[in-house]
Amino acid sequence: MSLKNTLTIWFGKFMVKALHLLGRDAGNAPGLILWEMNKDCLKAFKVDCPIIAVTGTNGKTSVTNYLNHIFESTGKKIITNKQGNNLDTGITSLLLQNCDMKGRVKADYLVLEIDESHVPVIFSKMKLETLVLLNFFRDQLDRNGEVETLILKVKKFLETFEGNVVLNADDPNVSRLGLANPKNKNIFYFSVEKYAGATEKPYEVGEGKFCPRCGEELKYDYYQYSHVGKFRCPKCGFGDVKPYVTAKNVKLDVPSIEFEGEEYKISHNSIYYVYNLSAVYAAASLYNFDKKVLHETFEKFEVNNGRLEKFRVDGSSLLVNLAKNPVGANMTLRVMNEHKGEKELLFVLNDNLADGHDVSWIWDINFSVFNDVTRVVTSGTRAYDIAIRIKCSGYDPDKIVVRPELDDAMAEFFKNKGDKYAIANYTAIQPTRAAIKRYKAKVKEGRENG
Amino acid sequence: MDKLRILHMYPAMLDLYGDSGNVEILSYRCRMRGIETEVVKHDLGDKDTDFSGVDIVYLGGGADFEQQLLADDLLSLKDNIRKAYENGVYFLMICGGYQLMGQYYKDSNGKKIPGLGLFDYYTVASTNKRERCIGNIVVETTLGDKKYKVIGFENHGGQTTNVKTPFGKVLAGNGNEFASSVEGYTEKNVTATYLHGPLLSKNPRLADHIISYCMTRKTGQPYKPEQINDKLEAECRKVLLERLLKK
Repeated sequence: MSLKNTLTIWFGKFMVKALHLLGRDAGNAPGLILWEMNKDCLKAFKVDCPIIAVTGTNGKTSVTNYLNHIFESTGKKIITNKQGNNLDTGITSLLLQNCDMKGRVKADYLVLEIDESHVPVIFSKMKLETLVLLNFFRDQLDRNGEVETLILKVKKFLETFEGNVVLNADDPNVSRLGLANPKNKNIFYFSVEKYAGATEKPYEVGEGKFCPRCGEELKYDYYQYSHVGKFRCPKCGFGDVKPYVTAKNVKLDVPSIEFEGEEYKISHNSIYYVYNLSAVYAAASLYNFDKKVLHETFEKFEVNNGRLEKFRVDGSSLLVNLAKNPVGANMTLRVMNEHKGEKELLFVLNDNLADGHDVSWIWDINFSVFNDVTRVVTSGTRAYDIAIRIKCSGYDPDKIVVRPELDDAMAEFFKNKGDKYAIANYTAIQPTRAAIKRYKAKVKEGRENG
Repeated sequence: MDKLRILHMYPAMLDLYGDSGNVEILSYRCRMRGIETEVVKHDLGDKDTDFSGVDIVYLGGGADFEQQLLADDLLSLKDNIRKAYENGVYFLMICGGYQLMGQYYKDSNGKKIPGLGLFDYYTVASTNKRERCIGNIVVETTLGDKKYKVIGFENHGGQTTNVKTPFGKVLAGNGNEFASSVEGYTEKNVTATYLHGPLLSKNPRLADHIISYCMTRKTGQPYKPEQINDKLEAECRKVLLERLLKK
């Protein structure tokens, strides 16, 4: 190891230790400082085990957590960034906390969620074995720039990559990346058979309208959600791929799906979640897992953490989901609308730096279908913006209650008992979960004292 | 029943930042007053778009790439668009749509896209792609004879100059150029601005101003829109103006 690398590791370890002594979680800070000092700091680590990375606009955290659970169930030692921290600096901090003084990282596998724009910079310095690509949607335009710029960044990386690439065959923005390196034989597509809620016309705003190879307008047999579906270029045939894995017999009412002739019980009834599981199944298949582990995981494992998280609160059932872009919000609305009977919706919208200051993306959410929604409560720093958005879709403004403070919002939201759905954007999700828990505790306390 | 026809130009290409919301808001506010709206679309390559029978022409914002793609198509419509403008059709244009109606737009790669030349202004983007005007913005405009604060979000690299009659005075944010004192362009039947948000979502009086103009022009009678339930908008404006204009 070069002197520079040795010093990099020593200094990094020293920072982590010092922070621990101060009683602090190391978080992003050590990585941030290390990158400032040495742009090649990732090269100072010695990682001998295979690295599996998950990227895409939506679903990274969930898929990473599922893979992690599957690997760990078979007794493997995994290092993973379960809580996000998916930028170059976050990964550096993670490795610092898990290496010895020589920079050696001891594990059977690294399973990492990586921000789309950070894939090239991280894996030009560390050897990647498998990359899982979920989807590309418009997301926080004022922070990330246009989707196309991001796709081209990942494409450039893949042009020289020869490891496994697991791709969503039904998203043209992802599927096209299978063509990035014609020499790479390790391309594995996953796909999902047409489900009952698929539509002939796009129901939600999407991106990939034109063939990335020849520019012709893509023809769709059907749309599963957003621009994800069965497409084909009528001119050059782009889209004709043979999937490595296909989820069949999607029954959201059970809910269950089928892989390779076997039925799997699953724990959520959303098509978007079925796509995540298909990615998990495809990636896991590359590592030959016992099907029993997959059955157990698909049926019982929950990511929670604000990802399709279920709560019971004071006689009400609540489903909470993170949405940082229109597609994420549309998915939760779909689950809500497909649920029979009356329900109420809470939408928490912030405009902090990590959300993107621009909240106009909420106008790309499709609120035109709102089945039996009896009341809407809005909260967050942009509570009024989302209230106006819902009103202008034709919803009665008198049924919208705005409570910018979260605790006030919870008191209002749980006033009536029943089925409830909550959508919160990036910086709103954890405070929302905390407020739900506070409310639950208060109700319990009230009961005990009353 | 009265009916307004809105021509939404290039809805599939000029649809960044929720700009299509403006059409949804105009339709909503018309519907609340018993005015029917019909939204007609012009897409790339459409040959028989009727410009004479519409009341509002709407263009949203798009990325450099899309603006290049549609520049030729737009130029081929020049005479029709000019005629509609001279006949008093209302033109509402956001960001890229605003830029394309001027003399030209020079993008961040130095590539010059000819504009329609309907107005005298022109736009040059900084060659440094990171140099953009991004953030919340408040502009004071005049509607009829009353001053009105317009709230939105700007995100543009283009710097627009030679603007004879700006849309308003900048109270917070950048405007037509970095740290500019003015924003957008206006005439009696034109609102051109960089404001996303979408523009009309937080500025209901501007939306009603456009509706009144169109109804008055259409019926020949002065039109005064009846008040609708805008409690959410009023609260939203109060909160945001307080936050954005705080010195």
